[in-house]
Amino acid sequence: MSTTDTQLSRRDFMVRSMATGSGVALGIGFTTGTIPGAHAAIEPAEAFTPSIWFTMMPNGRTTIHVVKAEMGQHIGTALAQIVADELEVDWQDVSIDYPEGSAENFAVYGLAYTVNSGSVTTEFDRLSRSGAAGRIALVEAGAALLGTNVEDAVAASSRVTDSVSGRSISYSEILSQTTIERRFAYPDDFRDIPRKSPEDYNIIGQSMPAHDIPSKTNGSARYGIDVFIPNMAYGALVLPRARYGAKAISVDDTNAQSIPGYIQAVTVDDSFGKCTGWVVAIAETFPAAVNAAKALEVEWDPGPHGDVSLEGLLEEYRALQADPEVGAPWVDQGDVDGSLANADDVLESEYTTDMVVHATMEPLNATVHQVGDTWHVHTGTQSTSFARMTLTAYLAHFLGKPAEEIKVVVHQRVLGGGFGGKQDYDEILAAAYCSHQVARPVKLLQTRETTFATSFPRTPTLHKLRGSIQGGAFTAMQHDIVCGYMGPRFSVGKAYGSDWLQLDADDGSGRDIDQWSIGGSDHWYTLANHRVRAINHDQTTWAVQASALRTVSNSYNYFVVESFLDEVAHRIGKDPLEFRLSMLTGEGTSRGIPNAGYEPGTGSDYYMDRLWISLPWPSEDSWIPYESATVGGAKRLANVLRVAAGKAGYGKRMPKNHGMGIAVSAAEERQSPTWVAGIAEVAVDPESGEIDLQKLTIAMDMGIAINPVNAVAQIKGAALWGASQVLSERLTVKDGAFEQHNFDTYLPIRLSQVPEIDVEIVESGHHPSGVGEPSSTVVAPAVANAVFNAVGVRMRHMPITADAVKAALKAT
Amino acid sequence: MVALTINGYSYLVDAPPDTPLLWIIREELRLSGTKFGCGIGLCGSCTVHVNGEAVRSCMVQAGDVEGTSITTIEGLHYADNHPVQQAWIEMQVPQCGYCQSGQIMQAAALLSANPSPSRDEIVEAMDGNLCRCATYSSIVGAVARAAEIAGSEA
Repeated sequence: MSTTDTQLSRRDFMVRSMATGSGVALGIGFTTGTIPGAHAAIEPAEAFTPSIWFTMMPNGRTTIHVVKAEMGQHIGTALAQIVADELEVDWQDVSIDYPEGSAENFAVYGLAYTVNSGSVTTEFDRLSRSGAAGRIALVEAGAALLGTNVEDAVAASSRVTDSVSGRSISYSEILSQTTIERRFAYPDDFRDIPRKSPEDYNIIGQSMPAHDIPSKTNGSARYGIDVFIPNMAYGALVLPRARYGAKAISVDDTNAQSIPGYIQAVTVDDSFGKCTGWVVAIAETFPAAVNAAKALEVEWDPGPHGDVSLEGLLEEYRALQADPEVGAPWVDQGDVDGSLANADDVLESEYTTDMVVHATMEPLNATVHQVGDTWHVHTGTQSTSFARMTLTAYLAHFLGKPAEEIKVVVHQRVLGGGFGGKQDYDEILAAAYCSHQVARPVKLLQTRETTFATSFPRTPTLHKLRGSIQGGAFTAMQHDIVCGYMGPRFSVGKAYGSDWLQLDADDGSGRDIDQWSIGGSDHWYTLANHRVRAINHDQTTWAVQASALRTVSNSYNYFVVESFLDEVAHRIGKDPLEFRLSMLTGEGTSRGIPNAGYEPGTGSDYYMDRLWISLPWPSEDSWIPYESATVGGAKRLANVLRVAAGKAGYGKRMPKNHGMGIAVSAAEERQSPTWVAGIAEVAVDPESGEIDLQKLTIAMDMGIAINPVNAVAQIKGAALWGASQVLSERLTVKDGAFEQHNFDTYLPIRLSQVPEIDVEIVESGHHPSGVGEPSSTVVAPAVANAVFNAVGVRMRHMPITADAVKAALKAT
Repeated sequence: MVALTINGYSYLVDAPPDTPLLWIIREELRLSGTKFGCGIGLCGSCTVHVNGEAVRSCMVQAGDVEGTSITTIEGLHYADNHPVQQAWIEMQVPQCGYCQSGQIMQAAALLSANPSPSRDEIVEAMDGNLCRCATYSSIVGAVARAAEIAGSEA
């Protein structure tokens, strides 16, 4: 067949058995002959490389190849459930594996990047149809072996059965007895493969035990920190005060030389704009490296951000916001200025939010070594693809070689937490540089203190809101947001020649806006006059290295929008629940769209202009249309709000100083919303200002819950993440440095602070969306609104500390 | 040189006696199930048993635990089937899993001292173990479930 293979259209999708060292395997995936390096992956080979969606072996095992990172969401299990259901394979026969991050695998799978709670949303359709394609091929082959008509053959539990005679043959026997070559033209045949109706699912919707959990109960799961390479040396960081932009001038290691095991100090090449001012103490053991790091005497030039402080940034934020000429409109609908000019009453509020940080339990680390021409990276990362590309560019930079001559393979490990914090690659670059300097494998292991000092926090933000009230009705909303865009740090935006993440301003001015910094402010309420002005403070981006943190900008924008709308409701004397429901009508831009598929570049719909980022990479090979997660629009939000209100007993009489607060959100992105409502019950001590968060009620419509037990666990974990942010987490910057360095001053929620959590999954049967993040966004505004209802003070800063509540109570 | 007994095996380790036990367990002996989290005893990721009691191995100098019996997650049960491990799988507790060795060792030590803890006793015993994924609700239920399993096995 090899001659015809080369003539296959790149759009063919193949179900094909091929020889392997142990027999014959059935591989399922695209023919990608026009993509260099990919074709060989599905050619018969002695050792079959798993570089296609899944592989079935004649011994009966089906292995799903997962290119998403395992960071606590059990994504491999969820994706395997999607394939297995349509493939009609017995769940007991299913395994998963994780292809490494190599150029060859990139050519086959595309970008390996795990963000935005987007894995199920983006993979559901093509994995469903891939599974179905495999089943169709097996049924056809099974029917032939049984000597029956294809129409009479049905597949279930890894067997094909002739429904007339009752005779059956297992998938294992089919693969052992015949060869399969079944071609589906892509996209036409492929997208016509029917998917099951939700009522026919037998694996999707079941709480299958997660494949990665047993190894996480006996110490055998291998994280990045657990990598051991023969002859490996350890690196510990010595850091300048300034988070970013410092330069090491001199390094004196006189005192380090007497430390047993000390090897040398390496000043990392930071002319690439990464790892600025980093010096690494290299030693035979990690404790020796840490001791040597303490003993090194380093002088730095603090660079341009050495005097940055939170107070100074906020002062500059306020000056920017006061200038009507800066920024660009992200939302610009109706006549906001006219409404405000004609208003009976204008409600004005300023909100601010502090920085917070991922603080993954696994401190940042990477192990790098060179074998022959290949650089091997061992780490847990949210993107093996970007890790590989970034290191390749860095190596080309400091080695002075063309990037094409550099080969990097990223060996993915289990991530000890992600939350958006494992999509920077500084440890990898520094470990590679050190490995090159000492000509040994180097494990660069950050302490908790240096992990904090080199972290990539959520930007501090400032919000100015104006609400127009006319004739007792809410008629317009102006929302100005000032923050440090994260886009420029990832070299995206028009200034960098990339449209990724950057979207045009709503006024056609061509100015770009960082979606990840502003998203969520374009809420789903029907409001004729609505404007969001997005303002970037460039120094913040660089000085604090602003980045994405679980739900990204939704975490602060929903806090602000949902708090402010509560203010409006109280101002006009409406019940906050009724007020919200009256605007969650699903009209206009809040209507949702039926189909996620569109031809890239031709979209004119509001949603299509925006936020394609959570959808598959818009290449011809990856694109097929399917139902949009937005279908139903704000009506689904109204529905979950009603469900949550009912469950929580909204409106019930509360004791003195107790309050209930509500909020809704539609994170993660506008194009991939998960509809969620949250209700918080708090008791506030009027003397101390302490907030006792007693109960959270969460109702979520994610379309289809692939694995309900895990979905509930994710919803609870994310809700507590939100509780932790609103009640106690705070990162501050002074003199260019973060002021918190360990869990004595940075305070994630602990077990004793956990409230009762009541979760209701509202399965609407629509296209599934993500569950790992969204519930965190409703908790902060629900708590703030509950505090207001408990003691009558409006808290407009996150986190809401006891001191702030106490001060606000005193001021009333 | 430090002489240590870990999971029933005797080790002679070439390390200064003031080396934190954690680094000997993890990087020298490569029993890497015990995790490094904070280095100051505030997160519990490095929890092991010393003579059956839960201790933070980042805060213990190796020289100070010579002659004791040390147990890590790898040695908790010969078949990885300790009641706490059974309950952790049954209740699907771990998410990222990084803190869970420490959580499990903390819970196992609690149950050996107090076979049927109340909810408040569970919260008090487990409060020093941070979980950034916030699997806390599952943890409370799983410790109670482990107590049941242990009770039925006894």
